[in-house]
Amino acid sequence: MGNLNVIAIVMVIGLTIFTVGLAIFTRRFTRTTADFYLAGRKVGTLANASAISGDYLSAASFLGVAAAVYASGLDGVWYAAGFAGGFIVVVLFIASALRRFGEYTVADFAYGRFGSDRIRLVTVLMVLLVSLFYMAPQMYGAGTTWTVLVGEGFFGMSPYNTGVVIVSAIIMFYVAMGGMKGTTLNQIFQFWWLFLAMFLVVIFAFAKGFSYPQALADVTAENHTEVKAMTVAQLTAPGPNGKAPIDTARETMTPEGLAAVEAAVAAGDPEATVPVLMPAVNKLHELRDMFFNEPGHRYNSFDQFSMVLALVLGTAGLPHILNRYYTNPSGAAARRSTFWVLVFIGTFYILAPIAGLAGRLILDDTFRSGAGTGNAAFVDGLLLKSDAVMPTLAQVLGGQWLLGIVAAGAFAAMFSTTGGLLIAAASAIGHDVYEKYIDKGATEIKKVVVGKGAVMLFAFVALGIGLGIPAVGLDKAYPALIAMMVTWAFAVGAGAFVPLLLTGIWWKGTTERGAIAGMIVGGGGSIFFIFMNILNQLGRLPSEGFLAFMGSLTFPTLFTFPAALLTIIVVSKMDGQLPKNVDEIWMRIHGTAHERHERQLGLDKVSTMFQKGGE
Amino acid sequence: MTDFVNTAQGAAEVGAFVQHGDHVDTIESVDAVFREQRKLSFAYGAVFFLVTLAIPLLTVSVPAWYTTPVWGGFTLNYLFVSLLYYVFLWVLAWTYIRKADKLDERLLHLAEEQTRNGAGVTSGG
Repeated sequence: MGNLNVIAIVMVIGLTIFTVGLAIFTRRFTRTTADFYLAGRKVGTLANASAISGDYLSAASFLGVAAAVYASGLDGVWYAAGFAGGFIVVVLFIASALRRFGEYTVADFAYGRFGSDRIRLVTVLMVLLVSLFYMAPQMYGAGTTWTVLVGEGFFGMSPYNTGVVIVSAIIMFYVAMGGMKGTTLNQIFQFWWLFLAMFLVVIFAFAKGFSYPQALADVTAENHTEVKAMTVAQLTAPGPNGKAPIDTARETMTPEGLAAVEAAVAAGDPEATVPVLMPAVNKLHELRDMFFNEPGHRYNSFDQFSMVLALVLGTAGLPHILNRYYTNPSGAAARRSTFWVLVFIGTFYILAPIAGLAGRLILDDTFRSGAGTGNAAFVDGLLLKSDAVMPTLAQVLGGQWLLGIVAAGAFAAMFSTTGGLLIAAASAIGHDVYEKYIDKGATEIKKVVVGKGAVMLFAFVALGIGLGIPAVGLDKAYPALIAMMVTWAFAVGAGAFVPLLLTGIWWKGTTERGAIAGMIVGGGGSIFFIFMNILNQLGRLPSEGFLAFMGSLTFPTLFTFPAALLTIIVVSKMDGQLPKNVDEIWMRIHGTAHERHERQLGLDKVSTMFQKGGE
Repeated sequence: MTDFVNTAQGAAEVGAFVQHGDHVDTIESVDAVFREQRKLSFAYGAVFFLVTLAIPLLTVSVPAWYTTPVWGGFTLNYLFVSLLYYVFLWVLAWTYIRKADKLDERLLHLAEEQTRNGAGVTSGG
């Protein structure tokens, strides 16, 4: 460790200064709550599409998709496809209706649609939970990137912890400073930086003679292998056929790679953990070997469906993405923005798996030829933590300059997404709870101050979670942890909000009690299954029986989404208490008189984002 | 620009409406377009989910889909998930948006027609 990348570090610092500078620049335009939370509802189609993309492309997309492909081949490519597909659900069912309803947050929607304080508070709670689930992988990404980039810790902390602390401090500062306008401008800039970084990595790979179809054939020619951390006791214990895992490792690993394993075994401590390279098992077609271009490395039949559903439904349930729809000038603009989001992120998601595949081929060659690979740890040609594939590949392909661009991109991804999440969480606390219940007559300045306080509070919670991940051993329990954790956030969002939004927008007969029951079943159920799965992976559950089954569901969406939808329908039918002004609500969601009026007066023009004083 | 919302109890029976300036939505016009919009969104949604869920279905059950190379190391499965799926998403979104915009235009005409026919709406000024 300790391979200090000075040029790359200077580039990251440059990006950070630019980010903070932009936030300070936009500060003078943040006067009202509409400005702080919604950038004054005046963001143009392409700008908003870039900002939504920057908001959406998190550490999971930038580091995690390539990592998941690197670790799991085709099963990893699904992350990219699912992340993109989710926006179809948004554009078909949610975008224009949500904008027309014209509130600030998803909790406001619930309140406006069903008219009770109870549902607003339940929604706020769910927003906070989804945001926390989503912030965790961003923080983990911060620590991982810092480790590869700097390789050193400050103030006695590990490199990982240093990364987490520094990134959360910067985010806290810039979000509180700039609000949604600053965040919007930053997200636009950060999206295009991320795109450039991904594009350059792929171009550099092609320039080195990389051919996509040929590389796929080459990587698939051998059985797929994976890194597993095993104790000496586990390594040497004979299996049912009398063969111990170390015998399998001897067949899979090179003599050089094996030397470290043999040394650990010879040292004799049965509890010592050693990373070994093992052939991957096909979980989907159990009689087949596992190959890179085939499905089954990570997901069995159930998870193949459930993971896709979690991703495509989850996008529509991310509070920071939903909030973004309120920054559009009209319903039609909200739809157009979403189309451009699909074009932008779709292209990005076509590139990310190419980078993951290139990593599998190029890093292995580099390692075996004895060339340096920077600060990332390897086991016999394979990264110990696949989440480090993007920065490591960048360094191998383009030296410190490309590493700098990619590392800055990774920090940009974390800044923009965590920024959006903090705004969403701050709106939930500051706008939905404080302004509505605690201090109803608060002045604009006071409201903005509370919003900023909420940002600080949440950044501290995110910091704690980031530090806690390696402390409980979660990073060793899952391969490609960033993408995995983000999918959990998607699963909770898909269970909690998507049934609520779908029925709230498309079925007049939805009642408040039905909606609350659905949110609790969908959101609460998802969280329950995720924690059972974590306990299962950490080896804290029995290996057989009912509890083991409950813990075996990687993504609960195939159960929780239909359960939540059904709950809403059944409870609403039994309840039958429609809001008294349901027709008016209906016209707010689906009518366009307001938009036509604005269009006639030219109020839908979007050139005034930086007009002082907001709307 | 007075915004006028008719929320009186019982008004829904004779026709609730919302007015912004000269522009009016009546519950009848909104309901009519809502039904069209629902048909459109759910038809497109059905296509989206059928195609999206067909991929794991083939992945689980059709060996030719995931084992037969069609181009270098690409199987149909890998090619579709990593490249063709995005083309499908773009075409789907684009055609939907064009149709949804046309529906919005229809609502405009429908609402104006109902206003002209005097569906219980007074000028909100």
